[in-house]
Amino acid sequence: MECRNLKESISASIDGEVSRAETRRIEEHLEGCAECRDLERKMRAIGTGVAMTEGIVPSDFRERLFARMEAEDLLPRRRSLFVFSIRWAAVPLAAAVALALFLLTSPEKGKDVVAPREQLPHVARGAPVTESGEAPASAGLPRVAAQRPPAVPVPGHEQLTPEDLEIIAHLDVLEDPSALDAPGDVDEMEILAPPGRRQG
Amino acid sequence: MRTDEELMELYRKGSRDAFEELFARHHGKVIHFAYRMTGDQARAEEAAQETFLRIARAAFTWQPKAKFSTWMYTVARRTTLNFLRDEKEEGDKVPIPPGEEAWDGSPALQLRGPNALNPEEMAWSSEIQERFVEALQRLPETCRAAFVLNRGDGLSYEEVATVLGITTQAVKSRIFRAREMLMESLSGLLP
Repeated sequence: MECRNLKESISASIDGEVSRAETRRIEEHLEGCAECRDLERKMRAIGTGVAMTEGIVPSDFRERLFARMEAEDLLPRRRSLFVFSIRWAAVPLAAAVALALFLLTSPEKGKDVVAPREQLPHVARGAPVTESGEAPASAGLPRVAAQRPPAVPVPGHEQLTPEDLEIIAHLDVLEDPSALDAPGDVDEMEILAPPGRRQG
Repeated sequence: MRTDEELMELYRKGSRDAFEELFARHHGKVIHFAYRMTGDQARAEEAAQETFLRIARAAFTWQPKAKFSTWMYTVARRTTLNFLRDEKEEGDKVPIPPGEEAWDGSPALQLRGPNALNPEEMAWSSEIQERFVEALQRLPETCRAAFVLNRGDGLSYEEVATVLGITTQAVKSRIFRAREMLMESLSGLLP
């Protein structure tokens, strides 16, 4: 009677799932019961057998699983060092490209590059000057240069008279006195005195 | 060293290394558990793969309060159960009674003497393991799962009860019943 009641407890005691008091009671019974000792030995063997029963871990198990996980987007992909470097270099690189494009295409560029003298109405040196202050296209200048639109007027320059512009056009004669010796050239007094003033 | 729960939390935040560490710690256990439950290497591998996929898919619903290993075995047990149900429906796996011929017509395994099954004293041969696995498959699933989780994977009765969703007393009874049935099936092998 006692043996039948103890069988389940013997099983649990093998698994370490009984109290100290119950363990002591089982040990006392086993000392005097050969049948239960045999049962206890077989129960232990069965339990050990389960622990020793193992499947095989295939060498490609990890690769197959991770491939399936990556296909389902369940596993963050490992980044290579190159990609990582490019990623971090992209921000300053993009900033440098943006700055270069800005400098090349900015409307402020003309003011910085073109000399103030070229912003004046384009007049060929020594060439006849029209009333608008522009040299005619046939003044010996390249066609492209002669036909380009007038430069942006310098503030205050639009108040100059055609006579003032003529003087400005011949200022280089003063810078180069030898030009006065050239036959058929303009008279020095005509250069220095506008026609209106000469008459007065 | 980080706990399983901490690694799971890191994986939820996008850490690949955390999942790789969890995998390294547990994939062997899951494969062995699936093999003990299904008795078939190929199906055990597939069930183990599916277990980790389910763990990854359910990572965001996992409650950090739960012990990871308990949750993992719960997923593993349900996954293997599905495989076993599929096998039963397909009818492609029928236990071979001891002494009968195998499906391919080859003779059944010749067993050793009565003292063969004494793992503490002798080497665990592949033949004995096959017989043992076959005997395991003849157990009711609930008894098999309880016994395998306790003796194979080292879970306490309380942890087994959590995995199976039953009381600790029910675990105690099922493990005892599993032992009784296995002793009967392997009586010729036991010392």
